[in-house]
Amino acid sequence: MIPLSWYIMLSAALFTIGVVGVLSRRNIFIILMSIELMLNAANINLVAFSHYLQSLTGQIFTIFVITVAAAEAAVALAIIILLSRNRGSVYADEFNILKG
Amino acid sequence: MNTAISISGLKALLPFLIMTAAAMVVMLGIAFRRDHRFTVLLTLAGLALGGGSLVFTPFAPDRYVTTLVLVDAFAGYYLALLFAAAFAVVCLSYSYLEIQGGHREEYYLLVLLAVLGAAVLAAATHFASFFLGIEILSVSLYGLTAYQRHRDQSVEAGVKYLILAAVSSAFILFGMALVYAEVGSMEFARIAIRAGAAGGALLGTGLVLIIVGLGFKLAVVPFHLWTPDVYEGAPAPVTAFIATVSKGAVFALVLRFFGNMDIRVGGALFLIFTIIAVASMFFGNLLALMQQNVKRVLAYSSISHIGYLLVTLLAAGPLRLNASAFYLAAYFVTTLGVFGVVTVLSTRDRDADKLDDYRGLAWRRPWLAGVFTAMLLSLAGIPLTAGFIAKFYLVAAGIGSALWLLVIVLIVNSAIGLFYYLRIIGAVYSMDGPPGPSMPISLSGSAALGGLTLALLWLGIYPGPFLALIGSLMQTAH
Amino acid sequence: MLKYALIPLLPFAGFLIAGLFGKYLKEKAAWFPIAGVVGAFLLSFSAFLDVLGGTVIDENLYSWISIGSFSVNVGIQIDQLTAVMLMVVTTLSSLIHIYSVGYMHGDKGYPRFFAYLALFTFFMLVLVMANNFLVMFVGWEGVGLCSYLLIGFWYEKKSASDAGVKAFVVNRVGDFGFVLAVLLIIATFGTLDFTEVFAAVNTPVADVTYSLFGGEIAVVTLIALLLFLGATGKSAQLPLYVWLPDAMEGPTPVSALIHAATMVTAGVFMVARCAPIFSLSEVAMNTVAIVGALTAVFAATIGLVQNDIKRVIAYSTISQLGYMFLGLGVGAFSAGIFHLTTHAFFKGLLFLASGSVIHALSGEQDMRKMGALKSKIKITHAVFFIGSLALAGIFPFAGFFSKDEILWSAYNSSDLGRVLWVLGVAGAFMTAFYSFRLIYLTFWGKSRVDHEVAHHVHESPKVMTVPLMILAFFSITIGLIGMPGALIPHANWFGNFLAPLFPHAEHAAAESHGLERMLMVFSVLVALAGIRMAYSFYVKSTAIPGKIVEKFQGTYNLLLNKYKVDEIYNYIFVDGLVHKLAKVLHSIGDVKIIDGFINGLAAAIGNTSVQGKKFQTGYVQQYAFAMGAGMVVLVGLYYVLK
Repeated sequence: MIPLSWYIMLSAALFTIGVVGVLSRRNIFIILMSIELMLNAANINLVAFSHYLQSLTGQIFTIFVITVAAAEAAVALAIIILLSRNRGSVYADEFNILKG
Repeated sequence: MNTAISISGLKALLPFLIMTAAAMVVMLGIAFRRDHRFTVLLTLAGLALGGGSLVFTPFAPDRYVTTLVLVDAFAGYYLALLFAAAFAVVCLSYSYLEIQGGHREEYYLLVLLAVLGAAVLAAATHFASFFLGIEILSVSLYGLTAYQRHRDQSVEAGVKYLILAAVSSAFILFGMALVYAEVGSMEFARIAIRAGAAGGALLGTGLVLIIVGLGFKLAVVPFHLWTPDVYEGAPAPVTAFIATVSKGAVFALVLRFFGNMDIRVGGALFLIFTIIAVASMFFGNLLALMQQNVKRVLAYSSISHIGYLLVTLLAAGPLRLNASAFYLAAYFVTTLGVFGVVTVLSTRDRDADKLDDYRGLAWRRPWLAGVFTAMLLSLAGIPLTAGFIAKFYLVAAGIGSALWLLVIVLIVNSAIGLFYYLRIIGAVYSMDGPPGPSMPISLSGSAALGGLTLALLWLGIYPGPFLALIGSLMQTAH
Repeated sequence: MLKYALIPLLPFAGFLIAGLFGKYLKEKAAWFPIAGVVGAFLLSFSAFLDVLGGTVIDENLYSWISIGSFSVNVGIQIDQLTAVMLMVVTTLSSLIHIYSVGYMHGDKGYPRFFAYLALFTFFMLVLVMANNFLVMFVGWEGVGLCSYLLIGFWYEKKSASDAGVKAFVVNRVGDFGFVLAVLLIIATFGTLDFTEVFAAVNTPVADVTYSLFGGEIAVVTLIALLLFLGATGKSAQLPLYVWLPDAMEGPTPVSALIHAATMVTAGVFMVARCAPIFSLSEVAMNTVAIVGALTAVFAATIGLVQNDIKRVIAYSTISQLGYMFLGLGVGAFSAGIFHLTTHAFFKGLLFLASGSVIHALSGEQDMRKMGALKSKIKITHAVFFIGSLALAGIFPFAGFFSKDEILWSAYNSSDLGRVLWVLGVAGAFMTAFYSFRLIYLTFWGKSRVDHEVAHHVHESPKVMTVPLMILAFFSITIGLIGMPGALIPHANWFGNFLAPLFPHAEHAAAESHGLERMLMVFSVLVALAGIRMAYSFYVKSTAIPGKIVEKFQGTYNLLLNKYKVDEIYNYIFVDGLVHKLAKVLHSIGDVKIIDGFINGLAAAIGNTSVQGKKFQTGYVQQYAFAMGAGMVVLVGLYYVLK
């Protein structure tokens, strides 16, 4: 039996990696992947807690989250393709016509 | 709280089912007949039907449908508000998109889905419905924001909103997981009980993470940075939608989620909300002062308005629900009106967002200028408009709970805020405007603006009946 | 009595028509606001007669806001005080509307001007007819708004829009006090209705004290002081008077209506309306009296050396408002209101007449480029002369009666009152001097008018001179309604009329009549001395002023630069606070204040705004970083605060 705190540490580490990825990577695709990492970190937590609490809610919720993440990714990819088509770039630091 | 859905439960879900059905009907409608006017009519019919079904919906203080949603008068009020706002947005969108080329019909599909998400938020009492609602809303908004595919600004705004909203969702989700770990339940009511007692580290961190995520959706300092960019880049009616439906629904959820908690004076959550409110008021108003772009001015102004609104969350007593209900109604009417004017003045190539676009408007289009002036004065909280009563209500709720600091900050900020609204008004009445194109305003656009103006004056001059209605609705809530 | 609700609504209808259809009506647009205002005047007159007959109206039209047990109505109150104000406001507003037909003729903003003017009248009438603090606040905010719009009417002049901004910012400070007072009233009394609040101030409900800056202060005093802060903003008293002289950038009829006769007296009216609150607090009353007397003298000294014809009158207005507050502060509320009434007529006259001068000289406002106009614009000269006599307080012109009643009340009130009386008399001397300095420089002596302009000098059209003559008539006669008991016993009709509201003891006991008469003669002599001095300085031996200036160069410059108050405010708010802060925060890049804001607080706030924009870089990852940092800070806060 793996102790609960290990799961929390794992998920916290994953979440942090995701946050750092969002903040530091230029490529928007990798930023999106980093966001997926953050979501999955939460998922690990949910499943672990669900098991620990002996309540199914967490696991069912995880399935919701996976579904939503998929939908989000689909829309996100469409918009990013639009962006790269319009401007020929997918680097986050090249988009700042809106500012001030 | 049973988990099965009874017939009366289904009846209570009627507005949500109708919105879902409307989205599907519109989707199929587009598949069979790609026609702008037809799609708009379908959408409006769906919204009207959804709004009409509220009359038959059996609202009750304990009308839980499973543990996910609570269809009480509180939810009913916000559903009505959201549907009405969406109705106005669709009317404005029609006149906006009519002059644009390309595929316009899917826009309305996205609007309906977003309204569905917002409606779920207003009734949510569980993390699952909370999360699903906020995601349905957000994902639809990504598409809407980037809807003007040929405009760089629109797409950029879409990407920015997408990345940041996804990050905020991740924060919310992680926070939910932590809260779940400690409370062992995802129901708001149970969480509220635990949060009132001395919660542990997981619960505390989880709640703060949820505040971060919701703070993003509400655009409060320091999670507001996306707001001006997205407001500027998104098509004008979509901006109106984000400013009203999206924020209103999230605020209803905030009231539900945190309203039941014991946010006692001097507690950590109280202080966090106070800091956020004060910072939002000052930041929004100060940054709006030097702005030349009208859409950005309105973005900053919306930041400060949510800051004002947070006062109701912190106020104690029964008045606060009434105050926030009225404030949001007034804010909806006003914001829709302002963006409505921006919308009808926008051209095929660009939105009317420069201050110069409004110079001398009063001499080209006196009526439109009058509407615009009334809306701006209402945002500024000048008497005889809805905004004044709303602000007065907030302040009354604030002093009722002796929140003097917040009230004084609010008044100081109203004073600062008045300045930039007057600057726009000054431009509207200046004499040196360009000889603008005399494009006629579409019927749907003028109808929406006319209705909004009447609502504005009604709420400002004779709000008695509406206040009484809110009073009786909110009495049964909570 | 519902028909009296039409009093404000008629001008409002005029505003709507002129505003919405001005584009099509062109110069015909003026007739609707005029019709509205004249209609309001007729109705006011009927209301006045009702009140004279003993009918006081206090009626709620409908319930405006009701929040739980607390409710606010939209209601009108026409008592003696309101009746007086109604007559003053509608009379002057009608005359000035008519005058403006001639004055604004040919201006491209013609319909807009009349729309604003009618809107202003609407709000002013709401202000004086309110029966609770919130409706009063509606008018209060509204007149401020219109004032701002009208000062910046010629916004293409940078000085005009700057002046608008200044008026706006300074009035925000005052309004802040007013709003806080209203909130305190809600918190203390649970109602905003005048009658209910004034009935409750004497009950135990009002026995609340707040500790403020280490001292205890009774809630009534606090409310009164905050209300007075509001009054100092609107009525241009120390230290918030700075906006009024600059407000003269607006068109002259605006200066006459808003910045002399009506809006600036709103503060006086409000304090008189709240007399039951003020009377309970000696601290507040003394504050009102002292601030009033100091302002009266202070503004008069600046008025001595100004060269812009409108600015002289503006400083005179500030000074006269000071007299009104002095009257209120020593408990002579009806005297203060009496001076408000007479002042409205003669100051309105002076402004309109100066407008006629400016009109004649094709826009010239500098008195050093005037002179010897009395034979060319005879009517203007005559009415100007009458107005100045009234202002200087020469018997039997209007100003004499009202000013003397205030001075006598001050003298009679207390030891402090005697000191203030001395200030008042000194101010009266200066008033006489600067108003006749103005007359002599403008109309007498040698012509210093530019040759270009001199050819076009002409009397104004009838539509302008007739209102002037009407006002001149009132400037002579209006004082007679407040004849002091010392001259003719029981003839103070005005005091008796207001007596139900301001029951002041018949202080003018018969034995002191002798003293009162003596003081009257004294003050007239003082005024005559001032006029005489102006005559010898500016007509007979014009070299004297130059010599004096040479001798007292420092003092002269101090006065000419208005005590450098603007500079001091600028220094404190802009240079002191903001620049240093900005330098510390942003040592890189040039931190310069962008145009638009010139003055004090406004620049401070504007600068913050510019700095704040730098956060908005447009880079999405920086936004995400701010979110993350915000989260870390909030989590940290949560554990620290817990």
